[in-house]
Amino acid sequence: MTNSIEGLGRNAGAAVLILSSLAGGDKHGYALVKDVEEFAGVHLAPGTLYQVLARLETRGLITALKADERRRPYRLTAKGAGVLAEYFTAQQRILKTGQARLKRTWSLA
Amino acid sequence: MSSTSDDKRRATRLLRWYPPAWRERYGEEFVDHLEQEFADRHFDARRSLNVAFKGLVARADDFGLSNRALSPGGQTRAALATTFALIALMAVLALNSWSWAMLMWSARTYHPIPVDATTGVLAVVTGILLLVLVAIMLVVLVSAARQIVRGRGRRLMGPIIFAAASVACFCYFLPPWLPGMFARYSHMFQGGYRWTHPGPAAYGLAFIAHSVTQPWVSMWDPGISGEPTSQAVMNDLAPLAVLVFAVAMAFLVRRVELPHITRRLGSATVVLLGSLSGVFLSTLVIWFTFGGPIYATFGETGDIGGVAYLVFMALVIVLVARMGVLARRNEPHRGRNHIVILGANSESA
Repeated sequence: MTNSIEGLGRNAGAAVLILSSLAGGDKHGYALVKDVEEFAGVHLAPGTLYQVLARLETRGLITALKADERRRPYRLTAKGAGVLAEYFTAQQRILKTGQARLKRTWSLA
Repeated sequence: MSSTSDDKRRATRLLRWYPPAWRERYGEEFVDHLEQEFADRHFDARRSLNVAFKGLVARADDFGLSNRALSPGGQTRAALATTFALIALMAVLALNSWSWAMLMWSARTYHPIPVDATTGVLAVVTGILLLVLVAIMLVVLVSAARQIVRGRGRRLMGPIIFAAASVACFCYFLPPWLPGMFARYSHMFQGGYRWTHPGPAAYGLAFIAHSVTQPWVSMWDPGISGEPTSQAVMNDLAPLAVLVFAVAMAFLVRRVELPHITRRLGSATVVLLGSLSGVFLSTLVIWFTFGGPIYATFGETGDIGGVAYLVFMALVIVLVARMGVLARRNEPHRGRNHIVILGANSESA
């Protein structure tokens, strides 16, 4: 089982949002949705949210904490933080390259 | 009724799209999450569709058809169970196709060499396929018996009851004519089974295999005029009984405590069954292509039925192959020496 974010296929985008949200602290499902909505302007549908949470948990990128009544908070693991950092490093490289090319050829960015 | 209890009822209803294991793990928090969503936006068709679709995806995960949510051990077990059910259904078609091919082949004196060769391959592959299925059944049944004796067999009772009921249906269906068929074949046609002469023996087995599987394959058999109503009903129930048996055994495979060695062999067994099925279907297609005597009327079911069964077999092979690959890839011991290669730093501005 691959541990990279790309290994999550079509869920990679939602996974990055969830991991980024959990990087700021432990959250339960609904708090996650609200946080993602606030910083990314994206509303994660409940089916998608729990599908991705299950897959991230299976891969050991997040861990479920003890439930507080019916709400169960999730925490980013060290492995998850490493995978997220690795993903952002790769994305930064792409971002810098793209911006440099836009600036050079189109005088944009 | 208050809106809170109404929301809870709606959320619980949506939760039904998910498989039991998922509901057990995430159900409570998911219902809570949905209730909060309902409080924000009471009705949203896209949200309901999203939950329904993701529930179906979770069910596919649960059958071992993806590697997204199951643990490595759970993946192999789910793949083995689903493979067993699919291959058991396919084995009925394989047995029927082989037996009819063998009967038609025996009825003619001259065949092109590819037809001779493929008839032989079909016989060998069908035999191995059935032996592997029987071996799995024996391991599962012995493990189940051991588990029941130890007093941990409560979850096994449901599948066992359904499997036993379907076997009882077969037993009721078979006895009236099977002994007669053995006797007729033994004394009138060939003078008895002579295992020193494999040709006639294979023909005899094919004759019986075809007679047994034909009512299961042709949905629904018109039956024999004059037979008792109870017998006719049981004959018509035979295809359903095959399905019930396959599904019950699959549940048993998922729930039984298998020996450690069997767990390690699980993914290899899935790959073996997938490979055998692939060889069977390819050989059958070659057999048709080179003029196998029944290419026009596949297994007496007519062209549409024949094509439908071929498509079904192809689908089974694709699904089993996928499950086999995923189960092999996700075996726990395979990760030990796994090296993650980070993205190459090749881009330059």
